[in-house]
Amino acid sequence: MKRKNEKSVVRVVIATGISSVVTQLLVIREFLVQFAGNEFVIALSLFSWLIIGGIGALSARLITPRFFRAAAVRLGGLSLFLTVLSAVTLLSIRYLRDFFFIHGSSVGFYPTLLYIFSITAPYALLLGFLLPYSLYVLRVEKNDFPSYRIYIADNFGDVTGGALLSFALVYLVTPMQAVCIAGLPLLFAVFPLFFKNFPGKVFYSIGAALTLTVFLGGIFLEIHSLSPQKGKLVYYGESRYGRIKVLQDEELFTLFSDGIPVYSNQNMIMAEEVVHYPLSQLKNIKNVLVISTTGGMMAEIEKYKPETIDYVELDPEVSDILFRFNLIKRVSGLSVINQDGRAYLINTDKTYDAIIVNLPEPETFQINRFFTDRFFALARNHLTPQGIFSFSMQGYDNYLAEPQRQKLSSLFNTVSDHFKNLLLLPGQEIVFLCSDLPISRDIPSLLAQKEIPTDYISRFFYGNLTQWRIDELNSLIDPKTPKNIDNSPRLMRLMFSQWFAKFSTSPAWFFIITAIILAGYLFRLHLEEYVLFSTGCMTMGCEIMIIFAFQIYFGYIYHQIGLIITVFLAGLLPGAWLGNHLRHHARKVLLFTDSMLIGMMFCFLAAYIFMGDKLPVLFYIMTGFLISVACGCQFPVALRLRSDDNSSVARAFSADLAGAAFGTLVTSVVLIPYVGITGAAFGLIAIKFISLILVRVSHEKN
Amino acid sequence: MKRINRRHFLCSGAMFFCSAMPSYASWSFNGGDAGSGPADIRGKVFKGDAPKKIWKWSCEGRYYKRILNDKTVCGLCPNKCVLSPGDRAVCRGRINAGGKLYSLVYGNPCAANVDPIEKKPLFHFKPGTSAFSIATTGCNFRCLNCQNWEISQAKPHEVRHTELFPPDVVRAAVRSKSSSVAYTYSEATVFFEYMMDTARLAKEKGISNLWISNGYINKEPLLELCSVLDGANVNLKSFSDDIYRKLNGGRLEPVLNTFKTLHERNVHFEITNLVVPGYVDDEEMVKKMCGWILKNLGPDYPLHFSRFAPKYKLDRLPFTPVSTLTRFRKLAMKEGIHYVYLGNVSNHEGNHTYCHKCGKILIERKGYFINRDNLEGDSCRFCKTVIPGVWS
Repeated sequence: MKRKNEKSVVRVVIATGISSVVTQLLVIREFLVQFAGNEFVIALSLFSWLIIGGIGALSARLITPRFFRAAAVRLGGLSLFLTVLSAVTLLSIRYLRDFFFIHGSSVGFYPTLLYIFSITAPYALLLGFLLPYSLYVLRVEKNDFPSYRIYIADNFGDVTGGALLSFALVYLVTPMQAVCIAGLPLLFAVFPLFFKNFPGKVFYSIGAALTLTVFLGGIFLEIHSLSPQKGKLVYYGESRYGRIKVLQDEELFTLFSDGIPVYSNQNMIMAEEVVHYPLSQLKNIKNVLVISTTGGMMAEIEKYKPETIDYVELDPEVSDILFRFNLIKRVSGLSVINQDGRAYLINTDKTYDAIIVNLPEPETFQINRFFTDRFFALARNHLTPQGIFSFSMQGYDNYLAEPQRQKLSSLFNTVSDHFKNLLLLPGQEIVFLCSDLPISRDIPSLLAQKEIPTDYISRFFYGNLTQWRIDELNSLIDPKTPKNIDNSPRLMRLMFSQWFAKFSTSPAWFFIITAIILAGYLFRLHLEEYVLFSTGCMTMGCEIMIIFAFQIYFGYIYHQIGLIITVFLAGLLPGAWLGNHLRHHARKVLLFTDSMLIGMMFCFLAAYIFMGDKLPVLFYIMTGFLISVACGCQFPVALRLRSDDNSSVARAFSADLAGAAFGTLVTSVVLIPYVGITGAAFGLIAIKFISLILVRVSHEKN
Repeated sequence: MKRINRRHFLCSGAMFFCSAMPSYASWSFNGGDAGSGPADIRGKVFKGDAPKKIWKWSCEGRYYKRILNDKTVCGLCPNKCVLSPGDRAVCRGRINAGGKLYSLVYGNPCAANVDPIEKKPLFHFKPGTSAFSIATTGCNFRCLNCQNWEISQAKPHEVRHTELFPPDVVRAAVRSKSSSVAYTYSEATVFFEYMMDTARLAKEKGISNLWISNGYINKEPLLELCSVLDGANVNLKSFSDDIYRKLNGGRLEPVLNTFKTLHERNVHFEITNLVVPGYVDDEEMVKKMCGWILKNLGPDYPLHFSRFAPKYKLDRLPFTPVSTLTRFRKLAMKEGIHYVYLGNVSNHEGNHTYCHKCGKILIERKGYFINRDNLEGDSCRFCKTVIPGVWS
């Protein structure tokens, strides 16, 4: 039989990969903007996407033979629909948020989970369905068409899409434009399916016209979908690191970073607290380092007339906007350094009289790095002997709740190893003052001696920060709370607890139900499918761990992290090619690759623990690549062992996606925060080890 | 036309219900002036959540009725919680144990501080003095922007507390040289029995009693409370019932009734209105609110427009622009309210007290530093106009 659709279908699969990865990354980014940007929500977004994709893939096995027979024109129609859905999904996330939730309010765990699941479901289900369905279409013409080729085509599309977004689109266009650009190849790729199989090109023309209309509509609605209910949107930009919006309400300018109001030109209380509490302690101030800032901060620092102020801000777009809208002032001696704060300190020899860290709460692994033992030591090493180091956490009004008390205790215990004197001052922010010299708590009198005028402190300090309140806060510190260290970020766990406490909820039911479903699923898996499940799990877990470990030593370097992610996808291609060539030695290959994955994990862990900061970037990239190659190698091999029939392929795709979903969730929110990087590595090794034993035992049986 | 078979019907039905999943919370939606999203966030009774044993810091509730099957109806606030044995009320502080209603918040404050009275805010009540301030857990509202959510949305057993029975509170107030005891922070109505017993003792010792509240209380307990109260600051969170239900989980009407009762009983009170951007920053609403105040309470009760800061669950909104508050102050004064102040804004003319007749400054406030040289007794030094309030 003539294979008239083969090339067209493969092109559609590649184009679907490109479009879907761009959509996936933008959808996750959108969820982070609309909901809490913590590690839990990041993991939930990815988990939902992958698990629903897995269900979609599994459903192809059930639906196709009975209700929806494989046909090229149907694939074309569904692909067109998928293209439209990408834009609709992104817009839905924005528009439906205020329909279901109260405008301006944050949302708790279960509503967030349900929203993410519901909004992601149509796209991810269809996407998961299309992968095996494409194969079924090809097998209508050629019964033995190898599944690994679809796997390779899909991964090729994924790599291209990921690289396209990370290294090009994110700099050039808005999310809606990016979705449209990434969808165009798919729009063109489906044309031959209609052309060859459907007498009326009219159908395609209508479909394509509708898709383009939705795309254009989406682009047109982009600004509208971001506009505030109150005030005026005076700036909107998408940087590599997140969404930046500036809203103007009368004379008030507020910069929103990922949906959270972070900087304002009218929050003098915070600016005074974070600047004057530490700087008033010093007699002579020459050099000040500020890691991130708050509105009005530079003007307050200027009152001390330092020679230099080094302001480190990761995102150049944020610092530009802060100056443009006068949220911070360009003062004499100010230098802006657009770099990761931790990376800056590693690479500079300069010492400072004061280091003020002004970052948001440590809700992500990225931010957590600024509140660990190693970072505090780094900061200490860059201080003059009489210098002061300060950072702040969210304040409270009249009662320090338990999760927050634990959080403060963990920070106190961590930083106290590096400084002789520590003082916590309550307020809108709880300011940690750390120095080797004695610290005074009478800030207004220090300011009066220096003749430094303030608006808030001079008027309200004595009433708001009574001796009793300061003593109470400092006495509530629990010396037994574990420290927050790079390799075991206990603070993340406490941040999760604080988030759950705020919404009076617990994730217990979610984990119980997920565990029951997972157990039922695993029970029904065949051996080869379990191998793929555990590999998917390990690969995603490793990816998260490697990025986590990389950031500890190198900081958040966008391009290099983008490269690691790309390499993780790219390694699947040679892996799948290799696996196909070695498929005749399937069981040996499975044993070898499983052993290799375990070995790689041990090597990574050993190198990380013993060599740590001496490891080059290439080490992380190569580790990621090799793990990915091993993972890619297993797919064709496992199918060779199991059977390459339609049903097995769908189940294999599904197992791979479900494993990846489980790996993401368990590594991000359970393993790393609860047992640290070593425990996480051993957890992933254990999952893979079970797979190795099963393959081995199964071999012996045979 | 092809007839639909059973399988198709079931599939379509399942798809329809799946698409409706996000509305799982059975929230009712309205398109009123409070916008979209859930229209009512009022709290619910916690079924079977009462502790098995009544603890030391409990007392039998004063305002409740016993109905069939040992159920009780709490009469303290307009929530009127109907509790079966073992249930916990919306406020979290009251339970039904064996057919009796108990308060679990008696003598166990989780917050106790000495605050400047201006912090409450009370600007016409003994300026420059201190208030010994106490709170237990619990609140009958669910305000999304609560600044004390750690205690207002917690159960008594969930927090650290100190033991401070009414005589101890009075002793602590005397020791701290406070001229008043403020029942504040969370919602004082919830610890009504504790507040009443403390207030009676405080009054005997010449210490004033201040009620800082959302005003969500029934008339009968409020009348009893008025007999011991010297001053109050009651939040008028907005002048829209829709917004009350949406942002606070309460209703407007009972709060307005509270103001009327306080006025009838000659209790000095001040009104605080938190201006939440996008919800409460509506000029028409301010005009309506001022109109109601003037008609029902008169022009002399101080009104505080307080600046919103992103807090608790309402943390994705910006601050209120100072110019909005300034405009509202002018508007309220133009409407006829004599004393209008701005809260959470420092170094502003809206911090000071001006004589409503001659316009001269009477009390100058630099934060908590008070200069009241121009107030002679209770009158303006310049034009001798009597200024409403409790001045000594």
